[in-house]
Amino acid sequence: MEVLRAEGLSKIFGAGRLEVRALEDISLSVSAGDLVALLGPSGSGKTTMLLCTSLILEPTQGKIVFDGQTIFQKNGWSGGVDIRRLRREKMGFIFQSHNLIPFLTARQNVLFPLSLVGVKGEAAHRRVMELLDYMEIADRADYLPAILSGGEQQRVAIARALANNPRLILADEPTASLDTVRGKKVMDLLKKIAKENQSAVIAVTHDVRMIEGFDYVYHLKDGHINQTP
Amino acid sequence: MDLAVYDLKLHQGRFIATILGVGLLFTIVLAMNGLYRGNIHDGLAVIQATNPDLWVVERYRGGPFNEQSSMPEYYHYSVKAVPGVERASPYIIYAVERQIGNESRHFSIVGYDVFGGLGGPQKIYAGRGLQQAHYEMVAHAKLGVRLGDKVPLGLHTYKVVGLTKEAVDNNGDPVVYLSLPDAQEILYQKDNEEVRAQRERLARTLNSQKSLSPVAAANLVEALAPDTHIINAILVRLKPGADPTAVVNHIRQWLYFSVYTTQDEIQLMLKGKLSGMTKQLLLFRTLLMIISVVIIALVIYTFTMEKIRSIAVMKLIGAPNLVIVRLVLEQSLLLTFSAFLFALVLINLTYPYFPKTILLVPEDEIITFIVVLFGGLLASILGIVQVLKTQPAMALGGQ
Repeated sequence: MEVLRAEGLSKIFGAGRLEVRALEDISLSVSAGDLVALLGPSGSGKTTMLLCTSLILEPTQGKIVFDGQTIFQKNGWSGGVDIRRLRREKMGFIFQSHNLIPFLTARQNVLFPLSLVGVKGEAAHRRVMELLDYMEIADRADYLPAILSGGEQQRVAIARALANNPRLILADEPTASLDTVRGKKVMDLLKKIAKENQSAVIAVTHDVRMIEGFDYVYHLKDGHINQTP
Repeated sequence: MDLAVYDLKLHQGRFIATILGVGLLFTIVLAMNGLYRGNIHDGLAVIQATNPDLWVVERYRGGPFNEQSSMPEYYHYSVKAVPGVERASPYIIYAVERQIGNESRHFSIVGYDVFGGLGGPQKIYAGRGLQQAHYEMVAHAKLGVRLGDKVPLGLHTYKVVGLTKEAVDNNGDPVVYLSLPDAQEILYQKDNEEVRAQRERLARTLNSQKSLSPVAAANLVEALAPDTHIINAILVRLKPGADPTAVVNHIRQWLYFSVYTTQDEIQLMLKGKLSGMTKQLLLFRTLLMIISVVIIALVIYTFTMEKIRSIAVMKLIGAPNLVIVRLVLEQSLLLTFSAFLFALVLINLTYPYFPKTILLVPEDEIITFIVVLFGGLLASILGIVQVLKTQPAMALGGQ
């Protein structure tokens, strides 16, 4: 089942002599359970692509269909769509630098997205512990991020991304701040999540060593995309 | 999930230090309120405690408190003869600095007619009122004397027969009540050497006048001796049913004095002597409030800027603006409320130790709290604007 489809997506920053074409006529489709890698060097348009697919940045042209609903087409964002709501209910985010909220414990960091969609009390607690257990970090539930190691923080961040059973997980350089062994583990975890949870995962990375086992790999260069088998 | 509280828990040291700092500023605001009230209270205390129907003073003068007024003592007989007047009493008040015990103290002396006159102390909490024509005093508790103490003032020693807490002068200094002649003597009695020197100077001047015989000159020296029977005001109690306006007009037109009711005296003080200090205190209060709000705004802004990446993450994962605005607003209000509470406790514990009268009034505290709360809301605007401007893309290291 298709989760995300981008058709002819372009993003142009600036105008005239200052115009920068960050994305040019990008099309891709991601289905539930797909593990997709976006590869490319710095400045290739990976982050812009991620911002557009996470519905943060408005494309200049093209069409975005998310979960069967047209979110963007050439006239702009579709009326009546609450984009923030879509993000909190159907998307999960994993960042390069973990980006845990520093004043919340591991447990509270995972609880936060649940509280945004109104899951509270025992049900919320159960879900949080289930996720921390899944990430093998339940014993660190009441620690603040500052006392967790980089790998532990990344596992808490993944637990947070999974909290609301998202249809799409967007990961921005999820292994960049980890050593090779821990990076591999995180990538394995993402594969496992994609298959077990039937979530589509789009991971942006510049590290080709990490993409082993991905279903689709797209290369971005100067705003153009090529799929490699 | 109360994000504000979790964040403050992590930064509790800085939060508490800020509460103490802002709380001390609020304490000064509350102290200024109390000082303002105390200034008015002290300035009007003697007027309100004395409370005659009319104050008769020197013509064109706003005396005896807002401005100096001086008149011969015997005029009170003329005032007493005015139709509608039941009692007219001579009254004198002046400030002195004298040695009390081992300390030099500022206080005011009130002289009044001990035998049935107006202007004496109304409420005595220990001892009794003045009963003798000389050498007795009733003192305000703030003077630090005890019943039975002998206090030297001028040429004589006065026994403390009563203590009152009723009135202080407009500087907040204690008031001492004496009989009128005693009060006049302390004010006007000169040093013996000075009296002799003055008489000799006068005698030399008169003796140089060839038209005066030595006997006539000597008589004139006696007659021209300075008069010490001077008072500042005449206090009037009207007969029941007397028309105050008629009495006032009669005294003004026939005796050439200025006449004020007690309410007029209060207004003279409020618009005169007290107004400068009152405006000054109001200005200080306003400035301190502005400074407090600016400090809270800067603290909240700093707190917000430190969390800006977390705020971007919250926005990215779909947190509504309300959740994040609430975080900033709650922190601002918590800081403001805690600082005010600290200030309230501190001022209530310390106000008796201030040198000037601090009069704490609940309504002032409530109004200050509302203003402070409004200030807290205002202070959070800077942080809220920053929150609303934050782009979720910042969490991805983009835009």
